[in-house]
Amino acid sequence: MTPELVVDNVTKTYPNGVQALKGVSLRIPAGMFGLLGPNGAGKSTLMRTIATLQEPDGGSITFGNIDVLKQKDAVRRTLGYLPQEFGLYPKVSALELLDHFAVLKGIVDRRQRAEIVESVLHRTNLWNVRKRRLGTFSGGMKQRFGIAQALLGSPRLMIVDEPTAGLDPAERLRFHNMLSEIGENVVVILSTHIVEDVSDLCSRMAIIASGRVLLSGDPQSAIDALRGRIWKKIVPREQLTSYERDLKVISTHLVAGRTAVHVMAQARPDPSFEEVPADLEDVYFSTLNAADQKAA
Amino acid sequence: MLARIFAFEVRYQVRQPLFWFAAALFFLLTFGAVTTDVVSIGGSIGSVNRNAPFVLMQILLVMTVIGTFLTTAFAANSVYRDFETQADAIFFSLPLRKVDYLFGRLFGSLVVAWLVYVAVLLAVAIGGLMPWLEPERIGPFHLAPYVFSMLAFVLPNVIITGAIFFAIATLTRSLLYTYAGVVVFFVAYAIAGLFLGDLENRTLAALVDPYGFGAFELVTRYWTVAEKNTGLMPLRGILLENRILWLGVAAAVMLFTWARFRFTTAQSGTARRRRSRQEPAADAPAAPAPSVAAPAAPLPSAVQRFGPSTSWTQFLHQTRIETVGALRGVPFLIMLFAGLLNVFGAVTSLDDLYGTKVYPVTNLMLRAIAGSFAMFIFLVLTFYSGDLVWRERNLRMSELFDALPVRTWVAWASKLCALMALLATMLVGVLLACVGLQAFNGYTNFEFPLYLKGLFLEDMPKFLFIAALCLFVQVVVDNKFVGWLVSSLFYIAGFVLPALRLEHHLYRFGTAPDAPYSDMNGYGHFVQPLAWFYLYWGLVCAALVVVAHLFWSRGTEVSFALRARLARRRLTRPAVVALLAAATGAIATGCLIYYNTNVLNRYLPTKTRYDRQAAYEKKYRQYMGLPQPRVTDVYADVDIHPETRSVAIRGRYTLENKTGAPLDRLHLYLNPDVTVHALKPAGAVIDTQDEEVGYRIYRLDPPLAPGAEMQVTFDLAIEHHGFVNNGSRNQIVENGTFFDSIDFFPHVGYLHQGELDDPNERRRRDLPPVQRFPKIDDVAAHANTYVSGEADWVRFATTVSTSPDQIAIAPGYLKAEWTENGRRYFRYEMDSPIFDFFAYLSARYAVKRDRWHDVDIEVLYHPGHPYNVDRMIDAVKRSLDDFTASFGPYQHRQVRIVEFPRYTRMAQSFPNTIPFSESIGFIARLDDKPDAIDYVSYVTAHEVAHQWWGHQVMGGNVQGATLMSETLSQYSAFMVMEHEYGRDRMRRFLKYELDRYLQGRGGERIEELPLYLVENQPYIHYRKGSLVMYALKDAVGEEALDLALAAYVKARGFQKPPYTDSLDFLEFVKAAVPPDRQTILDDLFRNITLYGNKATRATWSKREDGKYVVHVEVVAAKYRADGKGNETPVPLDDWIDIGVFGERDPKGPSEGRLLAMETRHVLGAGGTFEMIVDQEPRKAGVDPFNKLIDRDPDDNLVAAVAGSPAERIAGN
Repeated sequence: MTPELVVDNVTKTYPNGVQALKGVSLRIPAGMFGLLGPNGAGKSTLMRTIATLQEPDGGSITFGNIDVLKQKDAVRRTLGYLPQEFGLYPKVSALELLDHFAVLKGIVDRRQRAEIVESVLHRTNLWNVRKRRLGTFSGGMKQRFGIAQALLGSPRLMIVDEPTAGLDPAERLRFHNMLSEIGENVVVILSTHIVEDVSDLCSRMAIIASGRVLLSGDPQSAIDALRGRIWKKIVPREQLTSYERDLKVISTHLVAGRTAVHVMAQARPDPSFEEVPADLEDVYFSTLNAADQKAA
Repeated sequence: MLARIFAFEVRYQVRQPLFWFAAALFFLLTFGAVTTDVVSIGGSIGSVNRNAPFVLMQILLVMTVIGTFLTTAFAANSVYRDFETQADAIFFSLPLRKVDYLFGRLFGSLVVAWLVYVAVLLAVAIGGLMPWLEPERIGPFHLAPYVFSMLAFVLPNVIITGAIFFAIATLTRSLLYTYAGVVVFFVAYAIAGLFLGDLENRTLAALVDPYGFGAFELVTRYWTVAEKNTGLMPLRGILLENRILWLGVAAAVMLFTWARFRFTTAQSGTARRRRSRQEPAADAPAAPAPSVAAPAAPLPSAVQRFGPSTSWTQFLHQTRIETVGALRGVPFLIMLFAGLLNVFGAVTSLDDLYGTKVYPVTNLMLRAIAGSFAMFIFLVLTFYSGDLVWRERNLRMSELFDALPVRTWVAWASKLCALMALLATMLVGVLLACVGLQAFNGYTNFEFPLYLKGLFLEDMPKFLFIAALCLFVQVVVDNKFVGWLVSSLFYIAGFVLPALRLEHHLYRFGTAPDAPYSDMNGYGHFVQPLAWFYLYWGLVCAALVVVAHLFWSRGTEVSFALRARLARRRLTRPAVVALLAAATGAIATGCLIYYNTNVLNRYLPTKTRYDRQAAYEKKYRQYMGLPQPRVTDVYADVDIHPETRSVAIRGRYTLENKTGAPLDRLHLYLNPDVTVHALKPAGAVIDTQDEEVGYRIYRLDPPLAPGAEMQVTFDLAIEHHGFVNNGSRNQIVENGTFFDSIDFFPHVGYLHQGELDDPNERRRRDLPPVQRFPKIDDVAAHANTYVSGEADWVRFATTVSTSPDQIAIAPGYLKAEWTENGRRYFRYEMDSPIFDFFAYLSARYAVKRDRWHDVDIEVLYHPGHPYNVDRMIDAVKRSLDDFTASFGPYQHRQVRIVEFPRYTRMAQSFPNTIPFSESIGFIARLDDKPDAIDYVSYVTAHEVAHQWWGHQVMGGNVQGATLMSETLSQYSAFMVMEHEYGRDRMRRFLKYELDRYLQGRGGERIEELPLYLVENQPYIHYRKGSLVMYALKDAVGEEALDLALAAYVKARGFQKPPYTDSLDFLEFVKAAVPPDRQTILDDLFRNITLYGNKATRATWSKREDGKYVVHVEVVAAKYRADGKGNETPVPLDDWIDIGVFGERDPKGPSEGRLLAMETRHVLGAGGTFEMIVDQEPRKAGVDPFNKLIDRDPDDNLVAAVAGSPAERIAGN
């Protein structure tokens, strides 16, 4: 039984005065958990804090009976962490470094280590390039290597920060597959600003902006809550501002070069709008808008 | 287009941190060199102005050599960065011409590299204004030398090195190859320097030196102080040729680069290989993606174990990966190679005299390493401490690492171990290189235990401390660049603090007293302080490392406040225990050291010692020349205890009042470090006692009547308790004790040997300029010899005891030897009076004995140094042969040569006893080098000659005194050598003497004097003395000169005061010089005379009788110089050698076989001289053996060509 990660009222203010977390509370059970938010929302701060790399100013985090903030070593033993951005020793081969990471994760038995390293390399599709120096790896390969090292030591808590940035569609798909495979018995926190990543993968999610949790729950019920309230219209570009003034425009898209607006309303604003089925993106934008208005 | 690319490049490079970093570094180095004595660039500058044009040029040249790396960085980067960032694809698709792209970039980067040197100019200009500098050492500011140096030295050097390494970078597209190229370049440069370092090759060496350094040295080597302060190097001759040659090479290299460069992205070198390897990765996935639906097999289970043993495994793995990464680093390899190169250079120039090499014994290697390699180790440690501490963060890997279940200590400990591995690699590397060098030189006595001791016990701890310090600084400061700066400051502080009288090793980080190694004495008593100081610093470093652990930054937030909070949390029980243990250990050891250095002993910084000397002089110099009774009889019982390094002296002087008036005061001086158990002049009462400087004045009541005698008895001890911080005494040691009477015996009257002699230090203490010698017309000063102010001739007897396994030596004949109470006793008595200057030696000696007529010869030597013992004995015999025939009988019945440790590097002649340092003859390598100058025989002969010149005839204490001791010994030894080896071989020797003399003039600190007024100036009484006496001998004939010398010895030997002086000596010489040649004495002795002779052309034709007629065209000039080196031309009316040389014999001298040499009368500006020879001439010229002091001795010979002379024959 995988324990639950409980984040309770965590706050963090950086020395330069930026309030990154303003009392964040979350309960994250086993499975894929999407942490969605715009850049600068505080996602990475939260992730790093859970990954023992940063100290919050207040609040508590527990993982089962581990106090994450105090028992850092215990957390690290069960942790798989893939930071948002990372580099690797350029002159070392993938095999060597992965083996090294396995040692650092406490897998000291040589034979077992060789087995797990080999299977992780297969799993991340790096087996054929295992002898190449990491300095020659492309962005996708590096990202897969990141996953490979996170998988070592059968972690029960995986933290994956913006993993698909910079990946091409095929890489991204492959990456999602890998995540979904491990996400069944393990707490996996996937932080992203790409809505699709969450809708594709996650059974639960939270939206976070300006250091606050705006919404948390499962994506489907959030979408259901918006059912019948999202309307779409293709508008001429010059009228966009007047629509934004008069209606609650939650998002605009370009569709084949023309501007489409999504408007949230209890009823059809006027006949030229058509009803569209709500999706997670609408949830995301409407949540952010609501927060903005509250703040304004 | 070229202009725009150029301008862009300049703007780009100037914005790079490298530019500012390099400029700051150059500024600081130069500023330090100009304004302090701590940093020296290009060697010491003596009394030359600190901002003299010569100094500026020299600094700039040295900087351009160092700056090769910098120029390479700029030039290589100018194009390489496009390959690296793969911007080449963009640039090469632009409508650019190759020439614009390449040269725009190159010239832009070179201009920036050149601009860096402006920092050097600023530092010299600003440094000259600093208020703490003595105004005497600052010259007026002139712009011309700055402009000249920047254009004639720096710009060409930047272009030359830039063009070469730009070519490598551009064509190979690999930085590794480029820097490897730099290393190869330096290796070649160093090796060429070694092969061309000889006097014979200096013109060639000057030409092929790409930096123009050789040309600079060749032109300025004999510059006097005056010229160094004002002179500007003319851009002509060898310098111009050198510049043109190398700029031509640079142009050719650029042309080649342009021709070979292709405007394509995939070309040669590693860049292409890397790219080709990358391509599949970038474009095609290595395998098809697994389908979305396929469930993957679960990962195999692997047990994670945590605990101490896992941490240890993790530590080993992390250390391995850190070490391998660092060892592969290009900077490491560059610094290792550059360091090795420096060691090679140092080894080959170590300890040679007259160009003769010594055996490359291990301890020489170790000294070369300590002197030339340490800097590079420091650079590696500093650089890599920052690099390693920041490695993960710079690679953006730290988030991965810091979230792993690894103990924090694993991270820093593995990095510290990687630093140690780098250090060990460098030490092993230099060890292997040195062993290789020894083997290459055919020397196979590899003393590996000594290597291990020297490198790993003596040197390595110091570097470990630095490694720990650097790690600590990097961690606590948490900024790589600031960390580098702070670490360097610590290192520099070690050198700077002594200048501020802060000399104690307790606060100079990681330092310990010197531990000189001697083959005779090993590390001796120097080991004990070294061990304590190493323990102390080891504990300090342990504490630093624990603090580094506390502050080690882990995680993404690194503000100091936060790390301080974390540090408190990391202060676990083991950390506290470790910190407390290290700190208390360090404090306890520090206290113990302090007890030794400051309580058991007196701690005196060098500058405070100078103060003491100054105080002594200020207070008591007034008593110099005060009428005092004179010593007539010396008896001493001396017990040497080598194992405890102590000496007990119980003795008795008999003094006699020779003044003709009663004396009511007795002044005694005794080294204040000597413990006085008793010092009793009979019938005297102490009046003044100054323990601080060791001066005592006694009242004689009743006064000592003229002709009356009195006794002084003394009971003294020299003991060593514990150890000292600096200046550990090396006269009394476990094996190889050597001290003389000035060191530890009482002296009557003021002893001027103790005066401070550095003019700058004197000025700082308001002392008048040092008076090296009283003037020659000072009548009173003639009452003493220049060695002793307290006695004329004394009777001497002594009993010495030492350990049973050692032999103790003192002047005199061995009258008895016995063993008593487990100690060995020797009684020595002198049967004839001697000067009161005597020495004691004791060591475990091997003895070789021989005889010359009725004179016993003994060499007492270290059993490991048998190489030249026979040669010394032989030289003693030949010297005795020569000197007894030429100058008169030898006054003793014995000659002993006694080896002593290398702590001082000299040989010294005492009556019948010659202490000879192990470093100047015992390991000289002569056996397999037939044409090397045999300086072992030479030094031996010189010291034997002192038995006449110094122990029979001794000059009064006035100017010119050393002419009669040193110059005449030099001449005597020279003649021994010439009789043995012939005139041809001695030519090389003379050339060295000329070279040393002319160079010595540039280092003069007060003023140069003519030989007859020499004031103990070695470059005059040795170097010039050899040349002068040889020229004199040449002019008047050896026999006539020897007759004059013999007459002089006969008349002045063992004389009573007043003592002879150089004017008296010249009267004897005059007798040997024909009346029409008397002016030669003016040229040689009474003035500083220089010549500017050269051969301009030599032609020959064959006569019908088979002989050859040679016409030699000679340009001649003669100058007189003043004490500062300003020259005035004087009319030439001299007899000068004209020589013709033939084909070179296979093993003969390099100029060829001498066919004819005649002395001709040369008038005015020279002329053409005719010579007839039997064989075909090859070379001809004027003064070919450099008997005259010629400011350019290398242009005296020219190649002889067939043909007729251009001018009518002048002269005869």
